[in-house]
Amino acid sequence: MNLEKVIFGFFIVLAMTLNFGFFLGDIDNPAHHHIYELYAAIVVSLIATVLKFGDRTHVGAILLSTSLAADLQLITAAILWASLSGKYDEQALMVYIVSLSGGALMANIISVVLLIAETISQRR
Amino acid sequence: MNSILFLILRRLRRPLILIIVSFAIAIFGLTMMPGVDNKGQVWHMSVFQALYVISYTATTIGFGEIPYPFSQAQRLWTTFSIYFTVIPWFYAIGKIITLLQDTALKQAIAAERFGRAINLLQEPFYILCSYGQSVTLLAKALDHMNMRVVVIERSQNRLDELELTDSKQVIPHFCGDAMLPDNLIRAGILNPHCRGLVTLTDNDEVNLAVAIAVKLLNPKLPVVARAERDDIAANMASFGTDHIINPYTLFGDQLAMRVHALGTYLLHEWLTGITGETLLPPEPPPRGRWIVCGYGRFGKSVVANLEREHITTTIIEAKPELTGCNQCIVGSGTEAKTLKEAGIESAVGIVAGTDNDINNLSIVMTAFELNPNIFLVIRKNNSHNAALFKQFDAHITMQPTYIIAHECLAHLISPLLAQFLTLVRDQTNDWANQLISQLVSKVGEEVPETWAVTIDQQTAPAVTALMHQHIAITLQTLSRQPTDREQALDIVPLMLLRNQQPMLVPALETPLMMGDQILFCGRPEAKTAVTTLLEHDKTLTYIVDGSETPNSLLFRWLMAKKV
Repeated sequence: MNLEKVIFGFFIVLAMTLNFGFFLGDIDNPAHHHIYELYAAIVVSLIATVLKFGDRTHVGAILLSTSLAADLQLITAAILWASLSGKYDEQALMVYIVSLSGGALMANIISVVLLIAETISQRR
Repeated sequence: MNSILFLILRRLRRPLILIIVSFAIAIFGLTMMPGVDNKGQVWHMSVFQALYVISYTATTIGFGEIPYPFSQAQRLWTTFSIYFTVIPWFYAIGKIITLLQDTALKQAIAAERFGRAINLLQEPFYILCSYGQSVTLLAKALDHMNMRVVVIERSQNRLDELELTDSKQVIPHFCGDAMLPDNLIRAGILNPHCRGLVTLTDNDEVNLAVAIAVKLLNPKLPVVARAERDDIAANMASFGTDHIINPYTLFGDQLAMRVHALGTYLLHEWLTGITGETLLPPEPPPRGRWIVCGYGRFGKSVVANLEREHITTTIIEAKPELTGCNQCIVGSGTEAKTLKEAGIESAVGIVAGTDNDINNLSIVMTAFELNPNIFLVIRKNNSHNAALFKQFDAHITMQPTYIIAHECLAHLISPLLAQFLTLVRDQTNDWANQLISQLVSKVGEEVPETWAVTIDQQTAPAVTALMHQHIAITLQTLSRQPTDREQALDIVPLMLLRNQQPMLVPALETPLMMGDQILFCGRPEAKTAVTTLLEHDKTLTYIVDGSETPNSLLFRWLMAKKV
């Protein structure tokens, strides 16, 4: 067992689960989507991205790109929330934010699938 | 650039994660702390507001307490956040600065830039491995002839010298080991524009390794290599190194050439000289008994060549058992006693050929005192001692680096020139003298430019076009002024190569044929004029019959009708 691998896997899976937790619920109901969950999803996603830096293998490159895609969507959602809350219809705003986080969730799922595929292909 | 970016990102993993974690905790905490707004109500910062506050606090900008004055709880948390976030921030900045000064990274950036500079070279170039004294001369000469060069050198000090020299074109250079194939590939041995590689380091093993690597990776690329040991030279020849230069035999050879055929020697020096230099005719060395000081590789070559010219020699050697010299006078030659023992009074010439410049100077100065009529040949090893040698002014000052540079130039300017110079050695001295006077009358005393021309569709479209119309083109046609056909260009065709058969100094009436290769010698202005003649059929037609062909299609048609 390798501690580095544990940490690496932990952050990638956590990024997906937090993202999923935020995404879960009615798409237009602000009560179902807590800002701290989005906040945690962004922070963990950023950490996962940095952990993926510097891996020159092909799988490493794809892992990094999925993380970058997730970051981009989550940060866009956060910017929308920060800039438009209070000035815009709350339900409509929530639809935008949750759908963006849904996109990020797809990227995170791909990331986890890749991680699993790589783990299974390991021979030892 | 790709690999460098990843190198940076990889090293920055730890500081970046530290920043993310510390910021995340500080921001989260700040949103949790209850504040009081301007109406006296309890107020919590939003995530975005907290991010804003922590960002300017951690980076030590410090805008103050925004939007409302902080409560005690918020101040408490901010105090904690300052110490908690500022330290990782500085740690990250320090790491980035260390990284930028990292030698491995600098090396990676330099290699990347060098590779890009080579890829951007869209003209023929030569690769020079090492930047020693002879390569310095060679690079200068090639640069003067508008040929591009690329340098790989192990020592940064020499590259600093290169950076300070004044060159017409930019010389891309790289500090690295030429023995590594990666560096050779980066220098462009696989590049279609690369014309050849010259490896002149003073280490035979390095030259051998470079030559093998190049011949394996790109067998067609011409390689000029220096080899001092015979076994290494034989090894190099076995896998097809194009030219092997041995400075010691080369010098002996040249000294012998000077003794028996001064004209041939002069021609050799002149044609491989650096364009723009003036060459003074040297004194011919006398025949008689010579004294050779130092019987190393250099001395041996001198003695062998002088003996071939039936000149007797007396050898002075400090360590006869080391150099394998049977009949010699033991001593360094710097003191009068040894020189007298060698019979300095009755000798006609002395060669000071040790590898120590100061000893060499001492030998010739003592010899000159003992016999003021003696012919002095001195070997100069280090170009930094040039001032001393200039002051002394021996009859012949032989500098290995200079000889090597000249020999390389002969091969690099054109393979035809090297072939010509080999053929010239078989000619008589009178023949060479005649050619020299012909050259001097045509192109002047300055070192001329020598260039080769191939008559084919690519380099001489005008000539081929006229040949297809069965118009005879002679060398005479190519040596006329493009502006005025009555005036002759100041050029001399040195050699014509037809079906691998060389013709030395062909007559101007010789008609040209497809596939002919001609070696011309003349002023740089004449070179551009000849290129014009080879490429523009209008100009060439004017030279052939004095008529002006119209440019436009309409007038051409009208002309054709009139005829």
